[in-house]
Amino acid sequence: MTSAQLFYAINLLIYAGVDIIACLGLSQQFGVAGVTNFAFIIFQAAGAYTAAILSLPSQSANGAFQSYVGGWNLPFPVPWIGAAIVGGLVAVPFTFLVGRRLRGDFAAVGLLVTAVMANLLVTNYRPLLNGAAGLSLVPAPLQGEYNPQSQGYQWLYAAVTLVLAGAVFLLVQRVTESPYGRSLRAMRDNDVVADSLGKNLLSLRAAMLVLGGALAGLSGAILVGFINLWAPSAWGYAETIVLFAAVIIGGAGNHRGAVLGAILVPVGFEEATRYIPPFGPPGLVDDLQWLAIGLLIVVSLWFRPQGVLPERRRLIGAGPPPGPAVRVPNDLVTLDGSRHAPDPDGAARDGSVVGAAGRPMTRSASSAAGPDADPVLRTVGLTRDFGGVRAVADVSIEVRRGTLTGLIGPNGAGKSTLLATLAGTLPATSGQVIYAGADVTGLPAYRRARLGLVRTFQLASEFKRLTVMENLLSAVPVNRGDSLAGALRGRRYWRRDEEAAIDRARALLDRFGLSGYADSYAGDLSGGQRRLTEIMRALMTEPAMLLLDEPMAGVHPRLARQIGAQLLGLCAEGMTILMVEHELAIMDEFCDPVIVMAEGAVLATGTMATLRARTEVVEAYLVG
Amino acid sequence: MTISRTRRSGGSAGSRTARRAAAGLLAAGLAAAGLAACSSSSSSSGATTSGTAAASGSSVVVADLAPFSGPDAALGPTYLVSCDGTTQAINNAGGVLGRKLTCKGVDTRGDPADAVPATRQMFATTPNLALVIGCTSDEAASVVPVINADKMVAFCMTGQSEFDSTHFQYFYRLVPPDLAESYAMIAIAQQLGYKRIALAFGNDIGSQTFIQPAIASISKAGMTLAANETLDLNASTFRTEADKIVAAHPDVILTEALGPTDATFLSEVKQLNGGKMIPVIGTSADISPDWYKSVAAAIGASTVASSFHADNLVTETSGPAYTPFYSAIMAEKGKVGSTGDFATYLTAPGAVHLYDGINLAALAMIEAKSTVPSVYAPYIIKIGNGTAGAVVVNSFAAGAAALKQGKAIRYEGPGGPTSFDSYHDSPGIFQIDTYSSSGAVQVAGNISTAQLRAVS
Amino acid sequence: MSLFLASVGFGLVTAAVLAIAAVGFTMQFAVTDVLNLAYGAVMIASAFVAYALNQAGVDVWIAMLAAAAAGAAGSVLLNQGIYTPFQRRAASFSQSRAPITMVIVSLGMTLIIEFGLQAIVGGTNVSYTISQGPTVKAGGLILTTVQLVIIGLSVVIMAGVHVLLRYTKLGKAMRATAANRSLARNCGIRTDRVVTVTWALTGALCGIAGTVFAINNGSFGATSADLFLVVILAAVFLGGPGQAYGAMVGALLIGLATEISAAYINPSYKDVVAFVVLLVVMVARPGGVLGAAA
Repeated sequence: MTSAQLFYAINLLIYAGVDIIACLGLSQQFGVAGVTNFAFIIFQAAGAYTAAILSLPSQSANGAFQSYVGGWNLPFPVPWIGAAIVGGLVAVPFTFLVGRRLRGDFAAVGLLVTAVMANLLVTNYRPLLNGAAGLSLVPAPLQGEYNPQSQGYQWLYAAVTLVLAGAVFLLVQRVTESPYGRSLRAMRDNDVVADSLGKNLLSLRAAMLVLGGALAGLSGAILVGFINLWAPSAWGYAETIVLFAAVIIGGAGNHRGAVLGAILVPVGFEEATRYIPPFGPPGLVDDLQWLAIGLLIVVSLWFRPQGVLPERRRLIGAGPPPGPAVRVPNDLVTLDGSRHAPDPDGAARDGSVVGAAGRPMTRSASSAAGPDADPVLRTVGLTRDFGGVRAVADVSIEVRRGTLTGLIGPNGAGKSTLLATLAGTLPATSGQVIYAGADVTGLPAYRRARLGLVRTFQLASEFKRLTVMENLLSAVPVNRGDSLAGALRGRRYWRRDEEAAIDRARALLDRFGLSGYADSYAGDLSGGQRRLTEIMRALMTEPAMLLLDEPMAGVHPRLARQIGAQLLGLCAEGMTILMVEHELAIMDEFCDPVIVMAEGAVLATGTMATLRARTEVVEAYLVG
Repeated sequence: MTISRTRRSGGSAGSRTARRAAAGLLAAGLAAAGLAACSSSSSSSGATTSGTAAASGSSVVVADLAPFSGPDAALGPTYLVSCDGTTQAINNAGGVLGRKLTCKGVDTRGDPADAVPATRQMFATTPNLALVIGCTSDEAASVVPVINADKMVAFCMTGQSEFDSTHFQYFYRLVPPDLAESYAMIAIAQQLGYKRIALAFGNDIGSQTFIQPAIASISKAGMTLAANETLDLNASTFRTEADKIVAAHPDVILTEALGPTDATFLSEVKQLNGGKMIPVIGTSADISPDWYKSVAAAIGASTVASSFHADNLVTETSGPAYTPFYSAIMAEKGKVGSTGDFATYLTAPGAVHLYDGINLAALAMIEAKSTVPSVYAPYIIKIGNGTAGAVVVNSFAAGAAALKQGKAIRYEGPGGPTSFDSYHDSPGIFQIDTYSSSGAVQVAGNISTAQLRAVS
Repeated sequence: MSLFLASVGFGLVTAAVLAIAAVGFTMQFAVTDVLNLAYGAVMIASAFVAYALNQAGVDVWIAMLAAAAAGAAGSVLLNQGIYTPFQRRAASFSQSRAPITMVIVSLGMTLIIEFGLQAIVGGTNVSYTISQGPTVKAGGLILTTVQLVIIGLSVVIMAGVHVLLRYTKLGKAMRATAANRSLARNCGIRTDRVVTVTWALTGALCGIAGTVFAINNGSFGATSADLFLVVILAAVFLGGPGQAYGAMVGALLIGLATEISAAYINPSYKDVVAFVVLLVVMVARPGGVLGAAA
């Protein structure tokens, strides 16, 4: 290999390293957390500019033909560290756009526009970063001591870049393969549900934006240190498209896929086209290259949307039957019809099937004794309007501890809306929600979930691309690995919490008879099985009060009965359940009391027998 | 659809494979570091890449390192026409040391981040490379250090100020610095008797740098700055900018805004000025077939003919240096896609300067008896600036013949006499160009050095 | 003052071009729920169809009809061939990802159309052969005859869209499909056909908008519409995505805002005004000025 070829190879290695780091940042944001950040290139640019202005001497030093802020001539590695920090900081205001309840594609377009606008502003406002000409004569790291154009230096540069790329890979792997990473993936699959299970979406998205931003900033610093020049032409929105294409084609959600994509698209594809001799009118090869990238994106999304290296299924398994540490409560009907002998120790202990970590404001010690008199949940004049429509009208109800309360009513009565306002998924227009004695009306859904008030959804809401086991694990309220700091500390830090959660999940799976499906994707299950998964998942949150929205919908009657019995058993242990259902027979058998709604208001409350006798209830069902 | 690859998790296996992958990257990095240690002891600087061991008879390559795509896509192919014509004429006169010259285009894509790997790839795949031409303002700042470290001679087309006073041993420039062009434009305005000047420059690398020097020069010349508008090359209309300028009642508009911008902008100025065009002074970049084509289509060829002047480095239009230049370029007619009148290539950017540059390099190679840049480079200055008693030659053929007779030569091509300063910049003298109604470039006057100095 | 009035005039012209484009874009979104980011590409491709005819001697205004036809055909192909199959597929793959997939697909299609076009027509910029006509100065506005024609054309088209939506059966079917597609289908409306016709009509609008845009520019190339798409988005979102009347109002406001602001701040930043409006609307009121609050 000639020396020139070596230099070229080193160049490619460095570019590969830079693109790998950038793509890993993007993969973490987009592939794992579902944050579609079309302004991603801004972070790389911010990092490059920061590294440039930190390492450049003052404006007058080089003949004063460039105008820029900064110019403090700081030595390596300060510019690189500064670049990563600034890349992360620049990401913070973007949480505005992605944190909102904005449609994914709207937010994506807004971000794309931001990238275009940023480029325009930098180009036109010359005093800031020297406008279109950009910043040149940027010092290479340690260029006072070594010759940056020597082969030795460049090899070292490539080595450092690759080592950093490896470190970044380990970092994002650690974040993704942790309970925190699981929460991110849950948010990606269905953010509303993740919210209802206690995940703080804003904080998760912000963290991912900042992390991705820092990584992109670092990649920019490495690049600018090598080419010693950074101009707006290097970070148009076309570059963002190339990075996205790389991650999508390589495999979004799989970091190895991101690495592969980085090597294939920005490096491989763009370099390969240099070897095509120019033919036809000038610029034809370049036009065809972009055309090919567009085709690659569309074709790849059609034929292999999961990418070359798709996201892997995490296998945890159902494991051996639960040991003596995990208890099955007394008198429970399991789904295969057998009855467990009542456990003589059971009544005295507070554990119950879902208990593990204790939490304040859950149940009192005497929960096994039967329904309590005081209400867990109370509403005062609760109202919810949609424009001109009053979906929930001045509802004041009480739900007592330990009851399996039913909520029925004709279509459009406002039952689901009421549930949504109780859970916090929808804010109330007026009125109050009082849970466990405290006014939670102003709290968002994830905060209420953390207090033990958890809901399920009417439509299928399992996390499709997580396994059943992962669905369950994602709901665990307390896990040391479920924070960014915890994830970064590694498996050893959160292993024990995780294993305890797995044990609980296995017990639930066993109890509900779905052990064989523990490692199946939740999206692959049948309707009834998905319903069960959602119920189990809700149970994993250790709720004090469950709001179930048509849990039996589409479920075989026999299975429905078994579920009903399970729910009764849970209530016997002190849980409170408010359940919306259409099947009146279920209400008959399991629910007491039952609330009837019609046209947004509560018509009556009582046992099914008493309700059947009241004419207004009968009429509401016939008419409504 | 559950196409997936499974992996054991919940144990050390998952992290084990991740660690293995990271270890792989680490190993690659450490191997690279090891190589670094080894190779740094053997060669501590960039290797020479020109054809030292190439057999005689094999060709010598001149690379046109310029944008062939992106916003400045017209430049690379334009330079290539000059390159092809010049090297063909050299080959017809016997070549260099018995070898023929060929031209090769290398696309930088007009973007500094892409230009560096393009340059590296050029060195890696061109063993017989002896000369680089092109390197425009879009990428020069990032590629010149690389080229220089590889000890390759480069004749660049960038007027950027950093090259006015930075030492790059292998860098040569025959085009004027942007600063000087700004002054030249003001000098033209002065000659034509204008007092109120409006500036309308594009916001790209090449054009933004004209503004500050122009403003300084305007005040020095005692003129008034009537308006200063920056044109965003990405925007689609400039009516407000045009209106602001028209409202300021300037005598003349100084402009450089490439791509469709000048065409759109000038047509809007004409409209808003009641159909009458305000006089325009452009830069040497406006003397190009592409620029003429779009602007003439937008405001009319007769308008261009009557209202437009541009500064340009003095180039001969007749005489012993011009004739061989003319034949060399015109010989390419028919081999290149036409942009109308092929004769516009005679005055296109780079035509004269690259012709002169390649000739200088070729003559230097003959005198040095080597195509290795580190050997022949010093002869470029010698032949360009001349030595006492040197014979003045006006073409490659004449120069080669004189060298064969053992004489010292000084090359003076259609670009006029060169005088390289210590930074290898040769400033040149300016002339005033206009377009005829058929699009042919005419010389309307000259700017003397004294006039230039008065406004700089 | 005269600068202000002049810029109002320019703003009206910009608004006129923008209105034709934005109404088409927003109606495509209304019936298909797709942000067709390849809209700009189809615009400029249609402009080149008109250019080809114009070079052959056809008057630009006649060539514009061909551009409309090309835009219609292209848009229908785009929807039937690309967007609809992807939508069907994406819905089953992952609920929340479907809209993002469509954005990425439409960006890919933009690359294909624009660079395919540039490969054919080359990178140099071209102009229509058209005389701008005498300049009219009326009440401080300075406009050429052609610009007045553009404004007039835009007004006529807006009126036509209004008549279509309010008074024709097709218009009602379009509004119903936009409001609730499955319900419309259950009411007996042949939604698939309505969608196809909508894309054909909006595609024609797209073609006309492209031609008018190119006429207004003086000089254009294959990538000229890239930035303009952002301005279209600003107008669409300001009026509320999916609302045709909102798009008209949005176009007027954005057109005036950008040109008037250019009179007072550095004109290089005039498109930034559009961007800022877009972002503010998205963050504060995604339903648009005319739409419902978020």
